[in-house]
Order: sequence, then C-alpha cells, then structure tokens
Amino acid sequence: MAALVGRGVRDMLKRADFMTVPRRQRHKKKWAATEPKFPATRLALQNFDMTYSVQFGDLWPSIRVSLLSEQKYGALVNNFAAWDRVSAELEQLSARDFVNEAIFHGEPEPENGQTAAPPPASWACSPNLRCFTFARGDVSRFPPARLGSLGVMDYYLMDAASLLPVLALGLQPGDTVLDLCAAPGGKTLALLQTGCCRNLAANDLSTSRAGRLQKVLHSYVPQDVRDRNRVRVTSWDGRKWGELEGDIYDRVLVDVPCTTDRHSLHEEENNIFQRSRKKERQMLPMLQVQLLAAGLLATKPGGHVVYSTCSLSHLQNEYVVQGTIELLANQYDIKVHVEDLTHFRKLFMDTFSFFPSCQVGELVIPNLMANFGPMYFCKMCRMT
Amino acid sequence: MAALGRQVLDWHRLIPLTWSLIARQTTRPGEQKRTTAFLLRKLTMVSSGGGLGESPSVEPQKYAQEPEHRTGLTQCLLEKQRTAVEREKVVSSLLDMGFSDVHVNELLSIQPGTHPQQLLDIISELILLGLNPEPVCVALKKSPQLLKLPVMHMKKRSSYLRKLGLGEGKLKRVLYCCPEIFTMRQRDIESIVGVLKEKCLFTVKQVTEILHRCPCVLREDPGELEYKFQYAYFRMGIKHVDVVKTDFLQYSMTKTKERHVFLERLGRYQTPDKKGQTLVPNPLLKDILRVSEAEFLAKTACSSAEEFGVFKELLAREEEESEGRMADAGSPEEAGP
Repeated sequence: MAALVGRGVRDMLKRADFMTVPRRQRHKKKWAATEPKFPATRLALQNFDMTYSVQFGDLWPSIRVSLLSEQKYGALVNNFAAWDRVSAELEQLSARDFVNEAIFHGEPEPENGQTAAPPPASWACSPNLRCFTFARGDVSRFPPARLGSLGVMDYYLMDAASLLPVLALGLQPGDTVLDLCAAPGGKTLALLQTGCCRNLAANDLSTSRAGRLQKVLHSYVPQDVRDRNRVRVTSWDGRKWGELEGDIYDRVLVDVPCTTDRHSLHEEENNIFQRSRKKERQMLPMLQVQLLAAGLLATKPGGHVVYSTCSLSHLQNEYVVQGTIELLANQYDIKVHVEDLTHFRKLFMDTFSFFPSCQVGELVIPNLMANFGPMYFCKMCRMT
Repeated sequence: MAALGRQVLDWHRLIPLTWSLIARQTTRPGEQKRTTAFLLRKLTMVSSGGGLGESPSVEPQKYAQEPEHRTGLTQCLLEKQRTAVEREKVVSSLLDMGFSDVHVNELLSIQPGTHPQQLLDIISELILLGLNPEPVCVALKKSPQLLKLPVMHMKKRSSYLRKLGLGEGKLKRVLYCCPEIFTMRQRDIESIVGVLKEKCLFTVKQVTEILHRCPCVLREDPGELEYKFQYAYFRMGIKHVDVVKTDFLQYSMTKTKERHVFLERLGRYQTPDKKGQTLVPNPLLKDILRVSEAEFLAKTACSSAEEFGVFKELLAREEEESEGRMADAGSPEEAGP
C-alpha cells in the first residue's frame, strides 16, 4: 500500500514543470555572469527587425532609425479656449497648421481658377480641426500646454498622425459618434473639437485608462460643451457593442489596442513584448477583428467606420480589416465597402510620409524628416 | 698672443666657408648684413695684407690715433668676433649633420634673437632622436617656440621620449601634429600614457604606436580619452588591436558617436555579443570613420544628407539632456493614439 502511494506522489511531483526539466538545463544562477535579463524593449526591437525588414525591405532602416529617435509632435488647438490667439502664438514659433494647409492648398489644379473648391461630401475631412507642426526637418519642440483664461488648456500635444483617422472619418454636423477604444483621449478630444457631435460615446475597457480619458476631457472641454455634446464615458467590453447598441451610430472610430510599436521600443513598464504577455500579443489580431466587427455592427447602415492602429504590422492592419469584412459578410450577411483614401493621402503628403503599397487603408511611416507615426487607418462604409 | 694666433687659424679655416655664405647671400636685413660686411672687410684685409699675422694687428694700429674710442669699440668688435666665430662653428656643425646651405639659412633666421649655440643644442637633440634634417627644419619653422626651450629640459624630454619608444624616426609625425610634446609638462604626458597603459590596458608597444599615429591624443583630457576607449571597446565591441590599427582615438567623440549611433539605429551596426558575433557583418571601421561624410552616407549608411542632418541634431539634444539629467522640459502630457 505504502509503495503504491509513494509511486503516486512521485508521479505527481514529476508532472510539476520544475522536476521534468533536466537538472543540467536549469538556469544555474551561481554560474551565470549576468541574469538572463532581456528587456522587453529589446525583444520588441528583435521582433520588429524580423518582421518589418521583410515587410518593408529597403525602407525598414529609415523607419527603424526614426522609431528609435525622438518623435515629432503636433499641437491640436483647443477650440474651446482662445483658439485664434493660440494659433497666432504657435505661428510665432514658426509652426504652421498642417490641416489648413492641406485642405486649402493641397487641392490639385482647380477647375475654373477658384482657390478653395469644396471637396465632395464623401471624402470631406472632419471640420474645425487645427493642428500645428514644425516644418519638415525642424526638430523644435512645443512648450508644454498651459491653462488659458477660460479655465481650459490651450492645446493638446499629440502625434500629429493621430489626427488623420479623425480627419478621415469625415464628421458632419449632428452626427452620433462612437469612439470604441477611446483612452487616453487624444482622438476623442479631436472628435469633440469638430463641433459635430450630437452624441459622443467614449469607451475604454480599462477603468484606469477611462479615468485618464475623463481627465483629458475635463481639462480641455468646458462642462457645458460636454453636456451639449452628450458625452458619455464608459468602461465596458468593446466587443459587445453589436449587442449593446447595434445599428445606431453615424460615425465610429475603432482605434484598437495594438503592439504600440514606437512606445514598445522605449517603455519597459507594461510592455506587451514581455515574455509573460506573449499569448496576449499573439491573440491581438483576433481581439482587433472582434472590436472592428463590433464597431461595424454598431454603425447604422450607410454610416462610416475608421479602423486605426499605431502599429506597422500587416497582421494587425490590412489583415484585420480584410478578415473582419469577410467575417461580417459570412456570419452576419452585412456588406462593408472600403473607401479609397488616395485623394485624402495626397492632401497630407507634404507633412507625412506614407507607405506606398498598402492593400487597403493608409499607413503613415516614421521618417527622420517627419517623425510621426506609425499610424494605420482604413475607412469603411457599412452598406447594409 | 697664442690665443690670437689660434683665432687667426680659425679665421683661416673659415674663410672659404664664409665666402660661400656671402656668395649665396640674399638681402637679409640687420645684424646678418653687418656681420657679413665686417667679415668681408676682414677678408679683404687678409688677402691684400699678404701676411695673416698682420690682420689682428690691423685693428690696434688703425685705432692708434683714437685712444679714447679704443676700449668701447674694441670690446664691441671682440664681441662681434666671438659671436661670429660661434656662429661659424654652429654653421659648420649643422652642415656636418647633413643640413643643406638652404636649411642652414632658414634655421638661422627662424628666430634671429636665438643664440647660435642654443640653436645648435636644440637641433642636436632632435637629430639625436632620429629626425632627418628636412623634418627638423619644417618642425622648427612651424613651432619656433621650441628654440626657446632650456637645453636641459630638451635633453630630459628627449630621453623620456626615447623611453616611450618615440626615437628613431617615429618622432617626425608626432612633432608635426603635436609640437607641444616638447613644451608641455612632463606630468601631462605621463597622465595620457598612464590612461593608455593602466586604464585602457594597451601594451607598451601599442602605446608607442598610438602616440606615433595619433599624436593628438596628447592634447586630450585624460578622462575623455578613457571614455573614448571605453566607447570603442564596450559599446562598439572593438578590440585593442583594432583600436590601434584604425587610429580610432584620433577622431572626435562627437563624430564617432554620430556615425556609430546612426548606423546602429538604422540596423546596420550591431555590438558583437559575448562570442564576438553579430547577426549581420558590421561595416569596416574605415568605412565608418575614415571616409568623408558624403561617402559614409552613400556607401555605409545608405541614407540621405538631410536625414543625417536631422539625426545629428536629435542626438546632440539627447546627449545634452542625459548629461544635464534635465527633467523633460518640453515633453507633452501624453502622446496619444
């Protein structure tokens, strides 16, 4: 009897991982010169070197050096503060409003000599957005934003490329808008700046991040505007939106969690390339498909969705868009049409560096002369 | 009398040389001309006088009529005789050492105030250290302050340089690039040598090689020199032998960092791992540091001048900020997606 019990215990112990690893292969701390410490930022870089050198070929070195060097910012002017004074001050610094320049000077030869032909509604940019950047090759920095006389901050510093998905979404006055993964709040703030939101639903799964989003809104948007725009901040699971609020929204922004390429190369804390988060990272594309599907399901037929990430990866970008469209067609019998953003891209070519070979959507790639991005975005229209 | 006789004999020996000196004489102002004229007068007196023995006595006879001037002028003339004689000795020694007449002229006119013996002593030390006449001339013309050095100091420094292995012709390049090697303080040289030997662990032979090939290291701050070596060894993975072979230490730290970090971030340079291996072969050091910026960009970095320009600015700022440990002054609250 004792022998049987003994054997059972031994088997159980054998099953524990520790005992099955041959003694010689366990890390011998006393012999190791250094602990096998490989920072997540380094793992991220290794991962990128492997994938992106193939994906981008000769372009990869210039993208790589830009990712590893200080990024460039844009100053999104707060329309709820004294925006004309703020704009003048920013111009004094030799920065210029790239949105204004793109829309009013980016038009190709006008038909009959008029300077600002209004573009057709289907690809109109969201209005009222003012964002200043320094010229190509100018590495000046903006001073930190300050609190203005109206009790709100004068501008919001962000990666200027982050504004492009919001511009591409093409808000129009009176739109009901959903920002499915809203934190930390730069794009949400931009949506409010357009002045077009009849309702704005801003959601983020993480309560702490939703808290940050609240803080941003409080610092930039006066209470009465928040009330008028019916801003609602939630921290529900974004994947459930199809069931929660199906077919409702005019415009939906799905700015999904991704490998945050630039951030992952510099920040060690909570880095998704940590070995302990490997599974989570590998499941990202699936999560992204689910979120985009939910966003599309929450859109009313005829409404528009913009999907965006801050990653360079095919698997998180085009692959997700194409996969979701297929999923919606097969499982829900919903037809989704991808909008061509070529004209939109041309408007902003002078400020940003775009990857020329995206199958669907557009990709801003970092370049030392214009160190914005990465930012992928794709605009879709829900047809049925 | 005997002394005077000796002097006469000296004169006799010197006459042909003096002739040649005068014959090649170009217009040289001041003392040189007076000396020449004086010598010429002596010469004509000797040749016309017929008897060598007469010349010394010409002076006293000439001035016999003016007793009151005799002491001052005689002294002055004797002075001039002495200087001229010494000068002639020096000239002859220089010619013996292998200097050409042209060289001798040049050397004598570098610092006209220099005592000829001083000139000879300094030059002798340089010759003894293995320098050839031509380089000596060039070096002294470039750095006339060397002629002002006390001879004892010169001798001591020379022996120290020999100890460092910088005799036998190795000195030429060092002297061209860094003439201060004679004028600077002994302990400053020692501190540089000390850094190379004790901190960087170069062999004695390697230290000589470094001083010979990159004399400018003598001008560097010892701490910065050590940092430069550490950057090569630890950051770039370059071994001692290659640090010497590629003259790594002569390039400024700024230039090295700019080019190295640029390549590293482009993914074109990798610090070798413990086994000395890299995923892709690193470019040769000469293709990084020795080439011009244009060639570096075209061949090694495969990038544009404007991108490199921006990169240099960004790197300079990074360096400044990490040094000053400033809290990010201009950073935004959040960079938001």
